[in-house]
Amino acid sequence: MVDIKFPDVGEGITEGTLVKWLVKIGDAIKVDQAVAEIETDKAIVEIPTSKAGKVSKLFGKEGDILKVGSILASLSLPGEEILVPVEPEIKSQEIKRVETTPEIKHVEVSPESKAPEKPLEVPVRVLATPSTRRLARELGVDISKIAGSGPGGRVTDEDIKRFQEAPPKPSEVTPPEVAPETKALEERIPIKGIRKTIGERMVKSLFTAPHVVSMDEADVTELVSLREKEKKTAEEKGVKLTYLAFIVKAATVALKQHPYLNASLDPQKNEIVLKHYYNIGIAVDTPEGLMVPVIKNTDQKSIMELAKETEKLSEEARTRKIKLSDLKGNTFTITNIGSIGGLFSTPIINPPDVAILGVHRIRDMPVVINGEVKIRKILPLALSFDHRVLDGAQAARFMNTLIEHLKDPDLLLLDVT
Amino acid sequence: MVMGDIETGCDVLVIGGGPGGYTAAIRASQLGKDVILVEKYDLGGVCVFRGCIPSKILIHAANVIYDLTNPGNIGIKSSVEFDYKKIQLNRFGIIKKLRDGITTLCKKYGVQVIKGEASFESSDKARITLPDGTNSTFKFENAIIATGSYPQEIPGFAFDGKLILNSNDALGLMKVPDDLVIIGAGYIGIELGTMFAKLGSKVKIVESSSRLLTRFDPELIEVVSQKMKKLGLEIYYNSRPMVFRAEKNKAVVTISDDKGNKSELTGDKVLVAVGVSPNNKDIGLENTRVELDGRGFIKVDEKRRTTDPKIYAVGDIAGPPCLASKALREGKVAAEVIAGLPGAFDNRAMPLNVYSDPEIATVGLDEESARKEGFEIRTGKFPFRASGGAMTMDKTDGFVKVVAKTNGEILGIQIVGANASMLISEASHSIEMAAFLEDLAGTIHPHPTLPEALAEAAEAALGKVIHI
Repeated sequence: MVDIKFPDVGEGITEGTLVKWLVKIGDAIKVDQAVAEIETDKAIVEIPTSKAGKVSKLFGKEGDILKVGSILASLSLPGEEILVPVEPEIKSQEIKRVETTPEIKHVEVSPESKAPEKPLEVPVRVLATPSTRRLARELGVDISKIAGSGPGGRVTDEDIKRFQEAPPKPSEVTPPEVAPETKALEERIPIKGIRKTIGERMVKSLFTAPHVVSMDEADVTELVSLREKEKKTAEEKGVKLTYLAFIVKAATVALKQHPYLNASLDPQKNEIVLKHYYNIGIAVDTPEGLMVPVIKNTDQKSIMELAKETEKLSEEARTRKIKLSDLKGNTFTITNIGSIGGLFSTPIINPPDVAILGVHRIRDMPVVINGEVKIRKILPLALSFDHRVLDGAQAARFMNTLIEHLKDPDLLLLDVT
Repeated sequence: MVMGDIETGCDVLVIGGGPGGYTAAIRASQLGKDVILVEKYDLGGVCVFRGCIPSKILIHAANVIYDLTNPGNIGIKSSVEFDYKKIQLNRFGIIKKLRDGITTLCKKYGVQVIKGEASFESSDKARITLPDGTNSTFKFENAIIATGSYPQEIPGFAFDGKLILNSNDALGLMKVPDDLVIIGAGYIGIELGTMFAKLGSKVKIVESSSRLLTRFDPELIEVVSQKMKKLGLEIYYNSRPMVFRAEKNKAVVTISDDKGNKSELTGDKVLVAVGVSPNNKDIGLENTRVELDGRGFIKVDEKRRTTDPKIYAVGDIAGPPCLASKALREGKVAAEVIAGLPGAFDNRAMPLNVYSDPEIATVGLDEESARKEGFEIRTGKFPFRASGGAMTMDKTDGFVKVVAKTNGEILGIQIVGANASMLISEASHSIEMAAFLEDLAGTIHPHPTLPEALAEAAEAALGKVIHI
């Protein structure tokens, strides 16, 4: 018999919600066949089997939250009779304790079918005391995945509990008393999946990085006419030419000139990491919540290519088909609130970035040019940055370069590499 | 229990009554399980009857004799007489006390002990055969195998209990041999060789490698081999035993060195101490799904579960190091897991003791293994000759060495010196508690004592030792 486990899908994902079983008990399944759909903090992933066999048990029901590493299903291999799982038998209380793990009753097993569990004499290198390690087992937490907060990186009891409860528990906040008559008018939605991740990441970002927001406007009159002109050509090629593609390009050019905005902070080593590659995250509104697909190597792509890729990744994010690899690796992020509304915003930095650019709605505005009032297309911009890594002057210079390139799109085209 | 053909059952069947088995049985019973413990002989296992306890009793006696006749320059002179038979009788007394103690504990905690042999018929049934040959089948919910190990033989040197001895036979001798040849300079060879040398034997040890205890830091070994030389032990390195022959009631062993030069060693007895083999036969493992590793030990996971979901294994049979201390802990782990508790053999470090002169005790990584594992390390060493405590006892040979990561996390501690076997517990506890050098250095140690050397070595690793 073999077990199919919820594999480590990377990105520090530790749990997921079982969306749907794709097999049922008794099904004969093939190698690589998907057994379940699991919604992680990032996306819905299909979990395949690495062994062929007959499904003898499924662990958990749809909607359950499962930990990475937990057993999803058991397969009986060819030549092996199905093992009949029996629920732990509850014996009368005065006689004995009840075991909590379900036992497996053996019907008959051929000798060659062996499922060796990992032979273990590995030295345990987790930096934690025996009682803390025991607590981890008690709570079903994989202690090796926890970065300890104690001296020298020791994992503490509190770390274990915090890890298990995932979102920092608002223990001191007591739920407001709700009058019974209004209770019926309220709806309670459990926080899980993407919502939970957004919450955790935003709290961490806002409470670690001192945010400063720098606001400015770009006159994009010429950009608007350029886009209007090229829109059709693009459409013929099957590409929806959005302003966002131009903004990604302009931001890339500006990042190249102002490397401290394309960076991250390594608090362990107390170092700033400047990145000489440009992966720009695009915040996408999905029914489940905000997701940030990442366009890689934006400096090597044309505006048309950027437009095409943005569209593809956004669509994949909305339909939850996006690959995990397309959701990581960001060095800078752009959030385009303008397509929906609002005048200005103060975006929260998307870790591990040190800055995020908020792009707002282009509006016709009266602008004084050479003593005359003209109607121009104005794009409001807001840049939040991490004041640990850079200062207001650097941010303003970055904004100037960005605005300059948005104002004069010819410059952008020149920069196409 | 009903013998005969009527099938009876229990929650947990424990096979083997050594340190792993009886601990597992008592703990499982304490946790509410109905437990049967089957043991062929008496409760206590190799530890009580053939290993730890008997050897330590005799080593203690030999050390008392040696210390009295070699008091150093502390102003005492004495002559000593001893009766080896009486030393042995004292040993039997202690062993009986321990055996009866374990038997009483099993009774106290409601473990049903059956003297007999158990053999699996399937993954949930075992046949228990009593000494009179009657047998009966028992059904169990879980089984714990704790059948231990036995001294390994080498070809051409089959144990006969007369001239070719295993460690148990050697401990059981009622007379100190005049000449003793020992094959193998592992910890048993060194311990018993040193002991017999102190009791007056002329001891020759044959070792196939180029030094003693190859798994230990050579700095530790240096201290011990010097003392062994002083005690008159002869060690034949890079040599292998080739042929044995009995000649006029003496044992003659032909050995060959790595260049092929042959020589003969003659002794009243030959002790073969080359390791242990697991007791994996005659217990019906073939009727279960339990798997063995390449050396015949049972494969287990962290919870001491075998590859058969109902069956657990603890102690020597579950793989090296074959130490009672490991078995005692594993027994509890297996019992707790069976009772649904979150037990696991998750220890960060395993202490190893050698009752040589002076004693060696180590825990965790030594300098070489830490480097091999890729750690950037710092080390600190404190010699006992700089220890006030050691001077008061006139036991200044040896040192404590601490190996830590550069950030101070302690990876291992090695001790050679008087009472190293007792000193190592603080080192083990430090590693288990994830201690850093500062933790050990900052702990107040009574003065003047030997354990101060641990704190001093930690300070040395921190680069700020005071007493050297």
